[in-house]
Amino acid sequence: MTEHDPKGRGAPGGASRREFLRGSGVAAATAVLTGQATAILDEAQAAAQDSGPKILKGEVELTLKVNGHDHACTVEPRSTLLDTLRDRLDITGPKRVCDRASCGACTAIVDGEPVYSCTTLAVSCQGKTIETLESFDTGEHGVPHAFCKDDGLMCGYCTPGFVTACKAFLDKNPNPTLEEVRKGIDGNICRCGTYVGVLQAALDAAKAMKGA
Amino acid sequence: MKAFDYAAPTTLEDAVKLLDGPGSVALSGGTDLISRMKDYVTSPERVVYLKDVKSLAGISGDAAAGFTIGAGARLSDIAANRALAEAYPALHQATVEIGSVQIRNMATLGGNLLQRPRCWYFRAGNGLLAMKDGKSLVKAGDNRFHAIFMTDGDALFVSPSSLAVALAALGATVTVAGPKAERTFKIEELYQAPKRPDESEHTITHGEILTKVTIPAGAGKNASYEARHKQAQDWPLVLASVNLGMNGETVSSARIFVYGVAPIPWKSTTAEAEIVGKRITPETAAAAGEAAAKGSAPLSMNAYKVPLLKTVVKRAILAAVGNRYWEV
Amino acid sequence: MANWPETTRLIGTRIPRLDGLAKASGKAKYPSDVHPEKMLFGAILYSPHAHAKITSIDTTAAEKLPGVKAIHVVAKAGATLRYQGDFIAAAAATTEEQARDAVRAIKVEYQILPHVVTEEQAMAAGAPAINRGGNVRAGRASVHGLSDQVLAEIEKTVNDLPAAEKDKRRKEEYEKAVNDVLGKADAVVEGTYSLPVITHTCLESHGLTAHWTAADKLTVWASTQGVQVVANELAGAFDLPASNVTVLTDFMGGGFGSKFGADIWGKTAADLAKKTGMPVRLFLDRAQEHLAAGNRPSAAGKIKIGATKDGKVTGLIADTHGTGGFPFPYVYEIPVSTRVHSDVFVNAGGQRAFRAPGHPQACAIMEAAMDDLADKLGVDPLEFRIKNLPTDFHGPLYEAEIAMGAELIGWREKRKPRGQTGTGPIRHGMGMALHQWGGGGAQDKKVSCTIHPDGSVELKSATQDIGTGARTVLAIIAAEILGLNPTDIISNIGNSTFPPGQASGGSTTTPSMSPPCYDAVTKARDELFKKIAAAVNAAPDQLALKDGKLLVKGEPAMSWKDACRKLGMAPVSETGSFVPGLSSVGVGGCQFALVAVDIETGVVKVEKIVAIQDSGLIIDKLTWESQVYGGVIGGLNYGLFEERVMDPTTGVMLNADMEMYRLAGASDIPEIIVRAYEPHEQKARGVIGVGEPPTISTAAAIGNAVSNAIGVRVSQWPMSPRNVLDALALASKEGKA
Repeated sequence: MTEHDPKGRGAPGGASRREFLRGSGVAAATAVLTGQATAILDEAQAAAQDSGPKILKGEVELTLKVNGHDHACTVEPRSTLLDTLRDRLDITGPKRVCDRASCGACTAIVDGEPVYSCTTLAVSCQGKTIETLESFDTGEHGVPHAFCKDDGLMCGYCTPGFVTACKAFLDKNPNPTLEEVRKGIDGNICRCGTYVGVLQAALDAAKAMKGA
Repeated sequence: MKAFDYAAPTTLEDAVKLLDGPGSVALSGGTDLISRMKDYVTSPERVVYLKDVKSLAGISGDAAAGFTIGAGARLSDIAANRALAEAYPALHQATVEIGSVQIRNMATLGGNLLQRPRCWYFRAGNGLLAMKDGKSLVKAGDNRFHAIFMTDGDALFVSPSSLAVALAALGATVTVAGPKAERTFKIEELYQAPKRPDESEHTITHGEILTKVTIPAGAGKNASYEARHKQAQDWPLVLASVNLGMNGETVSSARIFVYGVAPIPWKSTTAEAEIVGKRITPETAAAAGEAAAKGSAPLSMNAYKVPLLKTVVKRAILAAVGNRYWEV
Repeated sequence: MANWPETTRLIGTRIPRLDGLAKASGKAKYPSDVHPEKMLFGAILYSPHAHAKITSIDTTAAEKLPGVKAIHVVAKAGATLRYQGDFIAAAAATTEEQARDAVRAIKVEYQILPHVVTEEQAMAAGAPAINRGGNVRAGRASVHGLSDQVLAEIEKTVNDLPAAEKDKRRKEEYEKAVNDVLGKADAVVEGTYSLPVITHTCLESHGLTAHWTAADKLTVWASTQGVQVVANELAGAFDLPASNVTVLTDFMGGGFGSKFGADIWGKTAADLAKKTGMPVRLFLDRAQEHLAAGNRPSAAGKIKIGATKDGKVTGLIADTHGTGGFPFPYVYEIPVSTRVHSDVFVNAGGQRAFRAPGHPQACAIMEAAMDDLADKLGVDPLEFRIKNLPTDFHGPLYEAEIAMGAELIGWREKRKPRGQTGTGPIRHGMGMALHQWGGGGAQDKKVSCTIHPDGSVELKSATQDIGTGARTVLAIIAAEILGLNPTDIISNIGNSTFPPGQASGGSTTTPSMSPPCYDAVTKARDELFKKIAAAVNAAPDQLALKDGKLLVKGEPAMSWKDACRKLGMAPVSETGSFVPGLSSVGVGGCQFALVAVDIETGVVKVEKIVAIQDSGLIIDKLTWESQVYGGVIGGLNYGLFEERVMDPTTGVMLNADMEMYRLAGASDIPEIIVRAYEPHEQKARGVIGVGEPPTISTAAAIGNAVSNAIGVRVSQWPMSPRNVLDALALASKEGKA
């Protein structure tokens, strides 16, 4: 019973089901496939359903608290927070760029911490506080203003991620050095090459935020 | 990403039950698993979210007794823990260099230890051993980031966890829970070089969950040093962690592990043997670095990892005694 | 003929872009953000193989999946797919997850064909031919500087040969002639230098959102650098009058030369929208963006170059190849030279224009050879360059720029001869390079300017902002002429139905759009004066505008708004055209790099870059500097990090992501000093664009700085730990270091 998953990037072939079952866990490896696979699954499911937490499948009704408002939406367990914000809630500040936790364009602040929303499942965010840059102060004490003043943007597609990473960083590090700012926003990538303006904006925003 | 069922247990007991079935995988930070699922390299039928299991998180202990770190502890929690940083600079230095602020906020210790290799042949869906028509794609292809030890075997990827290397140097053990009894063993025993396409690079199976890592007290002089291409978010090319027991000025015991050179956290017994019984000087550290390269057998495109290996071992040893000569 | 004002209030100052806050607050809606009502999500099926024929394709199962509304197949049975990422089909569904499921459910059978994906594979003896005419197409040898007599003799020698042997023989004869010259040189070096393919990696991927507003009317929101190009392409594809297609691009997330057209995915989005009667959003995923949306071709060159003791280059022989072409020799005055270039064809996505097409490759190879020759001669490479500058107007320009840059980097005090950089593990080195670019503007573009009775001013043109600040540049020009602030101007671009505007490429947008903007606003102002003169009891030529006020006979008479109110009900609207004298073409520029190389790890850290750039009259110094910073950082990526890695066996790209395809983050950014070279005579040239030139010479300067630091030429870019350590190991083996 080898089920061939077409591999990523549109390619056929790829990891078999047997293969992913071996050691594919993030924090756990999983059961090897046995002849009684289906039975085991059903049994485990039944046991879990009886006493344990709910198993979500198919379409899921969800309420997400984004920028201070509750948003009801329908997602699948596999829907990422990013795709949910963008496709379902029309909150399009966070951008989809690498889509693999490398570039930071999708950065959102969940329970006070900046995370990559492209690799966060929406279902895991129920009950959490989600902030995107649409909620930030756009006045002269805010981070967006500093980015504009210092021209820390060109095409602007990475900018929401940088602004969000900066805001989250400055909230915890109100008096950063230039080197600390660099480390603080190293999870974000810009292609136009706006870093000089971005770094200046972060330093200027740190000062401006104190006046708020 | 294929559709899957999802559960978010809050107790370890429920988590174990939910994972005890075929096609179930555990999800923590998600930075590796979700990416693999998007690439259809891993397509589980059920995803069990572990971050709501509060008993898996947390850091406890002190310098006198040693520390226990929950598998659910985030890397940002480990990086921010001052007591840990003071007792185990090797762990702290490896942790703060991982990924980015966002990654460290998401990723957990357990997830870091059990992430899958970054080998680009594996990530393109060719399996861990990346064989095609009986031939190694790695050997025939672009192996610049692959192993330089154990290259007579079929597993040519490099073990992806830098924390495993640091923790192995510190003599840490891991504890796993599962349908059967809980068990505790040395962290390096968590890893193996698969010999067959159906073998895993991890030794835990059958729905086991990694629950915690325990680091013994009384670590010696320890440090980690990594070389990488970018200064911003990037993977180490090669990283060494050393833990040196001292008898006065002389090294009485050594644990030296290296990342980026083998399909497992690579224990450099040659470097350990070279430094034990010596005082730590630039010369003895360099000799240990040279010794570390003994037995290396690079592939067609990664001979550069040999000088890198020598350097990171030398620098980790010197960093352990505060000599950071390359920073002048 | 017109001139820019001698003294300016706004032009040349630092003015934040008008749309900056919209972008920095997440409120700017990009084409990939737009969500018209009932919009469907699209997903693309693309070739998993480097070379294959589709033997059958079946969409039945895919069409039955939940949420799927339509599937559009482009590559049908019998079609040949030429690279991984080649377009096959697309689906539209209610959710994005469903659309992705749908394309995976399309059943395709392939007949796998042999591939070549690396230059090495393509050029190998016995390689499968993937291109009609061969995998390697050798161009004819070019020659420069040989006398007519010598050339005539060569042609005589070649004349009687069969056609197939002519080119080869001519090349040999040219090289023999240049070798005769090099034989008399005091120093000759031979080196091989190479640069890999890199991809544009636009952060917003290619694509568009298509919406049929009527059966024969199409509106698309496209991520493009040419709204009118896309409109014309779509009008052609669907047989519509051009005026029935509206392309909207308020914002777009990067193009760098790769986003001029609608592309097959754009047409497919419109097809899917037509089939379903609903708007469809279709953008490439990250991997396909790397695979199919363009790249900068590779370049390699075997260069032989010689000079006399006094530092004058005498001749050059170049044998170059790559997956595309590039100009060569580059910048310098080379008395005698010959070159032959071969284009190499591989089963990988095709090249597209990429920020200064051809120039970064040419610059890196030329400047490396120049540096190696200076080293062999034992002369300062800066002085060596000055002795070989072009004899046209660029010569003095370069000399002045080199002087500025040398001062700012500390060349004379701090630079050590190659390899004499100390004994510790960290070696510092300096390098420099020169570049050139044409740019200039089109002369057929238009801008309209409307002054409304309420005082609002609207500019319109069908250009777009690729990130350079085009919207703001137009507003600054208008505000300068009208005595207003840029924020008082409504600068409307990014709409294909507006007056013809320039596509954003080749550093031509600002020089193309500034003259018609100047013309439109000047005409509108004069028309306003004509219309209100009587109402303020003055002649039109007694009116002027300053600081938001109307001046009558030199005295402030009323506010701008009150003046406009005198228009009554009818706005003033004028369209401006090209006016000679306001723009120009052709720039130089030079860059210096200071690097620290860890010779034990091969890790290169760029510590400082100095970029000196001329570009005529600068409209907005702030956004101008950003472009130069951005060009430098693009060049730094090219110099240190970027490389498309192909797998020879499976034919796929191994790093089609943003993790193993490395791009600089904040910690990789050095101190960057940017200076405009703008003496009066430069400003007097008028507006010239700046997008391309500052990205050309950075990788070259970094490469030279690395060689200076470690005493060894790293002949392969990028300057990665692997390439640096391999170069050191090779030199050590050869006893050179």
